[in-house]
Amino acid sequence: MRNKTWILGLALAVWGCDGGEMPGFENVDCDDFDTANCVRVEGGDSQGLLDAVNTIDSDTTIVLGEGTFDLSNQVTIRGVNDINLVGQGIDVTVLAFTSATAQINGIDVVADNFLVQDLTVLDAPKDGIRVEDSDGVTYRRIKATWSEPGLMTNGAYGIYPVRSRNVLVEESIAERSSDAGLYVGQCINVIVRNNVVRENVAGLEIENTQYADVYDNLAENNTAGIVTFDLPGNPIVGRDVRLRDNMIINNNHPNFAPGGTVALIPPGTGTFALASRRVEITGNTYMNNKTGDIAILSGAVIEEPSVWELDTASLVGDWEDLGLLEGETPGTITNFRTENVVIANNTHEPSTERPEPHGDFGVLIAFLFTDRPSASVLYDALGETFSEDATMHTNNNHICVGGNTEGDFASLNVTAQLSMPGSPILLLDSSDFGPFGCDSIMGDPIQVPTDL
Amino acid sequence: MNRLARSLCALAALLVSCESGGLDGPPNIDLEDPPERLSEMRLFTWDPGEGFVYNERVVPYELNTPLFSDYALKERAIYVPEGETIAYDAEGVFRFPVGSVIVKTFYFAPDMRQPEVDRELIETRVLIHTADGWEAWPYIWNEAQTDAILSPSGETRTLSFVDPQGEPREASYLVPQRNQCSSCHQRNVGEGGEAVLTPIGPAARHMEREYDYGDGPESQLGHLLELGMIGALPAFTPAAFDFRRIEADGVDAIPADELDFAARSYLDANCAHCHAPDGTAGVTSQLFLNHDNEDDFRLGVCKRPGSAGGGTFGRTYDIVPGDPENSILYLRVQTEEVGAMMPQLGRSLEHTAGSALLYRWIAEMEPVDCGPAMPPPGG
Repeated sequence: MRNKTWILGLALAVWGCDGGEMPGFENVDCDDFDTANCVRVEGGDSQGLLDAVNTIDSDTTIVLGEGTFDLSNQVTIRGVNDINLVGQGIDVTVLAFTSATAQINGIDVVADNFLVQDLTVLDAPKDGIRVEDSDGVTYRRIKATWSEPGLMTNGAYGIYPVRSRNVLVEESIAERSSDAGLYVGQCINVIVRNNVVRENVAGLEIENTQYADVYDNLAENNTAGIVTFDLPGNPIVGRDVRLRDNMIINNNHPNFAPGGTVALIPPGTGTFALASRRVEITGNTYMNNKTGDIAILSGAVIEEPSVWELDTASLVGDWEDLGLLEGETPGTITNFRTENVVIANNTHEPSTERPEPHGDFGVLIAFLFTDRPSASVLYDALGETFSEDATMHTNNNHICVGGNTEGDFASLNVTAQLSMPGSPILLLDSSDFGPFGCDSIMGDPIQVPTDL
Repeated sequence: MNRLARSLCALAALLVSCESGGLDGPPNIDLEDPPERLSEMRLFTWDPGEGFVYNERVVPYELNTPLFSDYALKERAIYVPEGETIAYDAEGVFRFPVGSVIVKTFYFAPDMRQPEVDRELIETRVLIHTADGWEAWPYIWNEAQTDAILSPSGETRTLSFVDPQGEPREASYLVPQRNQCSSCHQRNVGEGGEAVLTPIGPAARHMEREYDYGDGPESQLGHLLELGMIGALPAFTPAAFDFRRIEADGVDAIPADELDFAARSYLDANCAHCHAPDGTAGVTSQLFLNHDNEDDFRLGVCKRPGSAGGGTFGRTYDIVPGDPENSILYLRVQTEEVGAMMPQLGRSLEHTAGSALLYRWIAEMEPVDCGPAMPPPGG
């Protein structure tokens, strides 16, 4: 082991150092990490924690003792790399921002090779744990939460890696956020597994992200369970996203988002893919999501195609093989279209409740499905050549549901619904999914990281 | 104290301790480790009677439209080492030689209508230009107001005062921790677009104005030239709107043909350190409030925010021309609600003159129908 610089509390004088267990550090201690430096901060020593993060060098572990840290400013890490921030366990080490008055996050990091593990972040005014512009990010066994469920004033995102590469989120809990509990935004190479997201507006979101494997997660009692989408204007075009083997159940929570596009999501939404391509939604268990299990939506439902133009010179990551639509402006592409999606081997247990007429989409679903549950897979059919007549659809966007042995599929033909509400929809089941009966991605198989 | 007196003082300090104290020698900047006490840098001294007294080659300056920080008064100064000069830049921040220091002291008065009476210094932020780039260090003034102490973890404190309009105010004032400096001072301008720390204020358009250095008002940039601290200046330097005109005469006194210039200068100073193509929030939100952005949509006109959350107040568009009450940009600048306020850091109070300016700016735009509005929150 390399030399360790241990900055120690007074208690050490009594308890000794190497090998000796110190009260509050029984679960995790400096010995458990192989960084050049290690700093211990005793449980509750908020000043010590802020001093530590603002003075550390690279290659440092900060071990937080058992207890609650009352913080009025965020824990900010900048200008260093190779940092571990570890506590003694979920709800054992708690960073509490309940009394904070400034508009801050809980933990706010820019650092390559950053690990946060074994702690809870409570009542962050904005985002719980935000890590930005970093390469090599691990969230493990952490919880981001707020004291009261369903409050519009709760923070926006719980677990929030953004504009980062090689991101792993596992065995963590994100709950009660007023926007998205676990939000992966604009990242490249991502694994999200074995997490629980509950009581959020959106449980788990994958946004403008490339190469993401999202599996073995539980999304329960959110407004929407697990979703993937692009937003307009972002230089990373989302691609190769796999949502597999997740439990997506009872996502009927009232929508308590204070505003923004997320406020439009109808309660009872299991999954949606919006402005997305090369997406697999496979092996998931959907139960009791009253508005619909899976929705396939064009980005044109939230913004006009012109807003989705992206200058090709500005793009980050891989996009040239995607065959994206060109924009009206020379030198641009657009990413509003949702295409090349495979939905297979999911199980569906429909809700006995009525769809929620919330937002344009919820109103449409509630209007269309009056005497039976909503279809398992809902498709807006934007971009279909013969969009006026659902029976003429030729599956221009390559949306494949042929690998499903249960559940059904509805092409809602949204364009026609706008001009003539109540226009016929195309409803198919596994006996014959018609033009949507394909069961594989066009082009190379979906590519996601096997481990990080 | 004028420059001559300061020189004499410095000279006298060689023999006996100078009356104003603390400046016994040229500035002393350790590029590796900042000192524990601000006075050890010998940039300036302060006492309630003398006010701020600067050392040689430490030059105070003001900005045309400054960043609002809960009504804090700010005393700014630049230090450039002997034999070095600042390189002028017409567009961006000037290029400073290694060893330069930019120092900004935040202070309050019990009644801000008389800002020089019973001043209390809160903090001094120090930007040091090292060989590896800019480093930021926060210092907090002690209770006796005799010195400021290096405080990397910052502080939050409650401050009560009467604002310039005579209203009693209580700010939840945040002295940023060291690592928070980058949330405003970071731009993606390094090689390959990587983030670097940079000053914000010392740019031509902000600094082109007059200042009284003891011999009556004179050009700030001209003064730096005279001292040999800046290289050649062009014949014409662009200047941002002088916000003191609004503080003196109110928003309604601005002629209609200067309104856009005033508002864009305000947005540039208060928002564009993030909301620009090379700023962090600019990339994620695609809202560009830099003064030279010419794309109305990216300025916010009929633009839906990406993820404004509580900041939308149930409204749909950043700017609805002619309708400030339905414009998210105005509402976020006007509110004092945590989670909704803009800018993200640096204010807990509404800047009433600033939000009134933006209100009038949007109200007097040619009305445009942006399209359908979204349903009310939680509806």
